Amino acid sequence: MVSVLTCLLKKKVTEDLPVLDEEIEVIGREIKIAINAVFGRSLAIRELDTGSDNATEIEINNLNNPFYDVERFGITFVASPRHADVLIVTGCVTHNMVIAAKKTYDAMPSPKFVVAVGDDACDGGIFSGTYAVLGGVEKILPVDLKIPGNPPTPVQILAGLLALMKKARRE
Amino acid sequence: MTTDNDIGIRVAQEFLGSDALADRIMHGPNNELYLLIEESEFEIAISHLAANKFVLISIFCCERFSLHATQTLFYIFERRTSILVVFLGINGYATSIAGIYPCASWFERECRDGFGIEFEGAFDNRRLFLHETYPDDFHPLKKSFKNASIVTKEIINPADEYPFLEVLGEGVYQVPVGPVHAGIIEPGHFRFSVIGETIFNLECRMFYKHRGIEKLAEGKIPTYCIRIAEAVSGDESVANTTAFCMAVEQISHIQVPERTWYLRTILLELERICSHLGDQAGMLIDVAFPLGASQFSVLREECFRESDQLTGSRFLRGIIAIGGISRDIPKVQLDELLSFVHQLRKRYRIGLKIVLSTASVIDRFSTTGVILPALLRPLNITGPAARASGGKVDVRLNHPYGIYDKFAPKPQRLRDGDVLSRFTIKASEIMDSIDLIERLIASVPGGDVRSDAIIRDGYTLAMVESARGQNLCWVWIKDGVIERYKVRTASFSNWLAIEHAVQGNIVPDFPVINKSLNLSYAGTDL
Repeated sequence: MVSVLTCLLKKKVTEDLPVLDEEIEVIGREIKIAINAVFGRSLAIRELDTGSDNATEIEINNLNNPFYDVERFGITFVASPRHADVLIVTGCVTHNMVIAAKKTYDAMPSPKFVVAVGDDACDGGIFSGTYAVLGGVEKILPVDLKIPGNPPTPVQILAGLLALMKKARRE
Repeated sequence: MTTDNDIGIRVAQEFLGSDALADRIMHGPNNELYLLIEESEFEIAISHLAANKFVLISIFCCERFSLHATQTLFYIFERRTSILVVFLGINGYATSIAGIYPCASWFERECRDGFGIEFEGAFDNRRLFLHETYPDDFHPLKKSFKNASIVTKEIINPADEYPFLEVLGEGVYQVPVGPVHAGIIEPGHFRFSVIGETIFNLECRMFYKHRGIEKLAEGKIPTYCIRIAEAVSGDESVANTTAFCMAVEQISHIQVPERTWYLRTILLELERICSHLGDQAGMLIDVAFPLGASQFSVLREECFRESDQLTGSRFLRGIIAIGGISRDIPKVQLDELLSFVHQLRKRYRIGLKIVLSTASVIDRFSTTGVILPALLRPLNITGPAARASGGKVDVRLNHPYGIYDKFAPKPQRLRDGDVLSRFTIKASEIMDSIDLIERLIASVPGGDVRSDAIIRDGYTLAMVESARGQNLCWVWIKDGVIERYKVRTASFSNWLAIEHAVQGNIVPDFPVINKSLNLSYAGTDL
């Protein structure tokens, strides 16, 4: 049985991060200001994989690890497209995913944004023009922003999201 | 890859007789044993191999391999340290062996989709990687089909929809999940048949991400195909490119400098650590213990950064090359890596202690998602999942490649087969990989890291132990370009294990069972 008092009084388990990434902090602060202004303090993102090699998903997942922890900037990854402002699409669009991808997009409330993350999502990459793949995300959905990379790093993805926020603010 | 093929020859003698054997048996460049059989001998051969406890690890098809037949089917069997490739020419029809080897079913459906081969006696004739949207009678891996965009069906008739197995009875209902899931993960469909909260049956439908990797490689020069091998599965980049390069090197008789193998092995083990750390963090998230998960995800991010320092890629891409590695890793960086893994071991132990002393975690992990040892051979379950259920399978030990004969990993084995066993096995493997990296850095020799690569024609099988288990590829080079590149990842084999592991568990435990095997959808779907 763990005593409540011990829990309150003992040394905290959380420590300062071993490295503080200045670049992340700068982008994060800027993105937070933009999200506060445009999206009422919280940006809800839904991730959709239409045929990636799973490296891009790992990098997007990494945005939630303690090094980046993007939730503190107001960015949340949500479980349903119905809660989402932004759809992040990774990977080239395979024929087998077309119907599911369109349904996911249709389930989102307007206004909505689509961001293609990774080389394959941007233009189909090495898979374009083959039998199994339709091409980049823009073949089936209106893409607002492309973040190239094989895969792009968490910092690059965050910088891309900042660009999207700026674009949304202008519009 | 070293193999001990005596047992394969002995069993072949039993059903063919020693006289007939001489001109039908041959050794491949990677020391795998090929055995040509006639269609009439097929059934007796399979029953002999099954009786002698050979495990079926892959079936694939190839066109234009033999002058006398339209297609050639290759059945790859493994028994401990021996590899036997049984092959036979066919003309569009073959006999199904899914009744004897249940894992054959997915392979046969794959051949059926790709080449239009009908398997007589098959219990499952549904399409596999070609979903409803593909036109009828479309077989992309046939040589007569040139890889180009195709017109697919826009509207799918409800009658043409994929028929899932229906479990009927009072109180049984179905829960369809996917292909788009709630988390940031890859797409796949899970059809649960549930009684109350308990899972009665699960059917996994994959291949939503089918990108046509194998067809894409055809006609390309081998150096270009490294990029394709990297795309098989992002977090297995080193394993898959190493397997591919190993195959090309063996075919072309390229001697790889010794230093290269030390560096490749360091990268292979680093990739394993990174993958296992991610699995463990994910498993802890799924049992609502973020304190433990963050310990491991911090370490994993540091591994990514270390990989970036070493090779310029967080996923160790672009470093493995045919004949060696694309650039040397200087001593300074290796010393840095040494102190990094030294620290990693200390901090990993602290994290592990927190996790293993938390009762709620142990409670959720133990007796959850048991994979029975009896399933290992029929389903060809591989990697840490098999080792957690008492399996003695590890390519690094059974078929040592590179310098694994000198730097053998510690054999890991647990028997319970539950989520806790898989978690513990992965923890031991991380520790062991750290040991291996330290030993490798301490004795890495100097010299070149790349030898001249003159590509020759031929074919061979190559296998590596990726973080998820045995990955194999079969490469056939003809006129200097790839004629066939067959990949079978550990994930492809282990999906069947999940279907069995979840039975009798409750639906809310599915995520942690799934994560404890952490299979790559991309590596399965190709």
